Amino acid sequence: MIRTTNKPSTTCFRSCGLRRQPNSDPGLTALHPALTRRAFSIATLITVLTMETALAAPAAIETEFADNAVLITLPATAASPADRPDAQEPARDAEAAANQLQTYLTLSRTAGDPRYLGYAQALVDQWPKAQMTDRLLILHATLNQSLHRFEAARLQLRQVISRSADPASIIQARVTLANLELVQGHYAAAGDQCDQLAKTFPGLIADSCQALVQARTGHPRAAYDDLLTRTQRSPASSTSSLAWAEGTLADLAAQLGKPAAGEHWRRTLVLSPDDLYTRIQLADWLLAQGDNEAVMEVTEGFAQTDALMILRAIAMKQLGHPGTDQLTEHLKERFREAQWRGNLLHQRDFARFALDVEGDAETALTHAQSNWQQQREPLDTRLLLRAARAANATSIADDVKAWLARHNQTDARYPEDPS
Amino acid sequence: MNRSVTGRLAIRLLLLLIMTLPLSSWAHKASDSFIYLESAQSELRIDLALRDLALVLPLDTNGDGQLTGAELRSNRAGITRFVDQGVAIASASGRCDLEGQQWGLSSHSDGPYAAARYRIVCADNEPPATLEYNLLFEQDALHRGLVSVNNGDTERLAVLGPDNRVLTLDPLSGAGARVLDLFGTFLVEGVIHLLIGLDHILFLLVLMLPATLPRKGRRASDHNRPEHSLRARLLELVGIVTAFTVAHSMTLALAALDIVTLPIAWVETVIALSIALAALNVFWPVLGRKTWKLAFGFGLIHGFGFASVLGDLTSGVSQIVVALAGFNLGVELGQLGLLLVLFPVLHACGRFPLYQRAAVPLMLLTVGALSLYWVAERATAI
Repeated sequence: MIRTTNKPSTTCFRSCGLRRQPNSDPGLTALHPALTRRAFSIATLITVLTMETALAAPAAIETEFADNAVLITLPATAASPADRPDAQEPARDAEAAANQLQTYLTLSRTAGDPRYLGYAQALVDQWPKAQMTDRLLILHATLNQSLHRFEAARLQLRQVISRSADPASIIQARVTLANLELVQGHYAAAGDQCDQLAKTFPGLIADSCQALVQARTGHPRAAYDDLLTRTQRSPASSTSSLAWAEGTLADLAAQLGKPAAGEHWRRTLVLSPDDLYTRIQLADWLLAQGDNEAVMEVTEGFAQTDALMILRAIAMKQLGHPGTDQLTEHLKERFREAQWRGNLLHQRDFARFALDVEGDAETALTHAQSNWQQQREPLDTRLLLRAARAANATSIADDVKAWLARHNQTDARYPEDPS
Repeated sequence: MNRSVTGRLAIRLLLLLIMTLPLSSWAHKASDSFIYLESAQSELRIDLALRDLALVLPLDTNGDGQLTGAELRSNRAGITRFVDQGVAIASASGRCDLEGQQWGLSSHSDGPYAAARYRIVCADNEPPATLEYNLLFEQDALHRGLVSVNNGDTERLAVLGPDNRVLTLDPLSGAGARVLDLFGTFLVEGVIHLLIGLDHILFLLVLMLPATLPRKGRRASDHNRPEHSLRARLLELVGIVTAFTVAHSMTLALAALDIVTLPIAWVETVIALSIALAALNVFWPVLGRKTWKLAFGFGLIHGFGFASVLGDLTSGVSQIVVALAGFNLGVELGQLGLLLVLFPVLHACGRFPLYQRAAVPLMLLTVGALSLYWVAERATAI
């Protein structure tokens, strides 16, 4: 008797993971291999050929809408024509241009809205290349980093560090560069910048910078204890320095698996309530602790921030919440549009969604892997390890583990090896 | 370090620090417009986000930060003018006119959009050749126009950006070529799937076996003209096999187009049962000797076998029709090929008593047993 199992098609087309392959109940078809294989394969082919139709089908045009219906609440910058980017005179001086750029970058971060990055890019494009100041270069580098143009950002920051006559600019460039290197997992390069920073701008920011490098390269406990002591000894620090240190402490505590991490994240959020990065980290931590109710609370009201909505969808799924399907459908539409667009698809979010909401390990692995080529923060590494395990991709997991071993990096957030 | 320098740094850093933590750790929809070229490129639909339109047009007439239905309606002319100056469709004879057909609201994953549908009217009835899109790039360098070109039943997706503002449209004959491609792909699939489908091959074998045996009563003439006999029997078999294909195409199409659907478990049981019955029929003609009618009847059931899996694929109906036509023709070609290779061999074996008395009954018995095993498995599953 010929027995074959129905191996799902592993060929990934445009909407891999977005639309499940049609399949009949394997219990019914496993023993009728020829028929099933044939039918399955033709079904797969037709699905592939008609997929784009399903992808692009637009919602109907609604012609009847009430005059008094509020269709949308406009963000402050777009509400008044005077504030429109095009209505503004091209900034006359570099300082005004830099202020505008900084406003856009701050808004993109606190609102989690890449439209502001688009406005920032338009401003940079219109600014004469020959008139780039140090501050504009640093801001442009920050924009490039936000758009995952890491190499361009690195070059601009190095340029400021090597050529600038302004100590403040050099310090800001070093902080930004150290952070970029940390995100990409270049710990030696990050360490150099942190050490330089400690000499020219001692304080909690330099301490946090060094603590992170130390923690990622084998000494998380010492890094945490040391930074905690330093933070407690500098009560007079500025709010942003304190937020920086608290955020770092939270990350280190999470790396060590200390329950204090949640408290640190919450304190960071009190110090900078608009910071989405911190909110995402807190929600992720709560989810890992199995505190789904708290995840619901922290993610409430952030419908436009996909990373938070994905964590919310996972929590809802685990709670058996009645709104799960609606949120999942919304996220699917969001990802369909992002894939049509091609760029700006956030691979980490997409992979997390595929793994924990859709249960599609293959798609999750593809995107987690490509994300890890660019970003190697613990949450990126954890996601790749989990996706590799779910997809039984031992060799990929081994590569990641070899990289971790090379840096002597351990993290309580990473999945444990089954022994 | 001098205290005042440090103080100045702290103030400057205060402003910038917030941006130094890892950025873009979240996805969020950037600014996109949605552009659909439909009905063989004779209609254009454009969806523009209200949020984006508010950047370039004073939509919020009363300045309260909220956009109402009335405010949108009162800006209809402005929005139309904005689209008109930034979107151009041209044919070989020059720029085409866009005649408004429908106007209103639509939505995408990030909120409400103003949507409009236009009829494309080009001079001399030339087909549109290019689509140019120039909206919003000056305000938002990351803005994109997401284009879907629907040529009848094939669809193409494209993205227009500041560095790539013109899309060259395929001439409509391109759509025909793609249909041919689709047909070819499925023709090959049909052949392949016949060759790897055990149930299908077994059924074919059962239909073939009786014809390989010398027929009682006509033995003398057969021996005199063996060539003629082989040819005549082959032709007869071709007819039978074709009857099977015709029937199986009909039900496959019915179910793939969602006209008739049957539960897969029952269909598979009946298919397995039909193979066993066909094997039995060789020894005891319980179903009669009209083999082509038998083949047709069985074909009807077998068609539902794949069809029940295809049943829920209803999008792009004429694509499915082309695909099915190619697939069924491929199955038929595969069957005929198999027949041409296998039948002469079996026919030649037909002269040996060992083949008649042992090999054929053994083959039929095996096929019957295997099919009954499938039946049992299916029946218990139901």
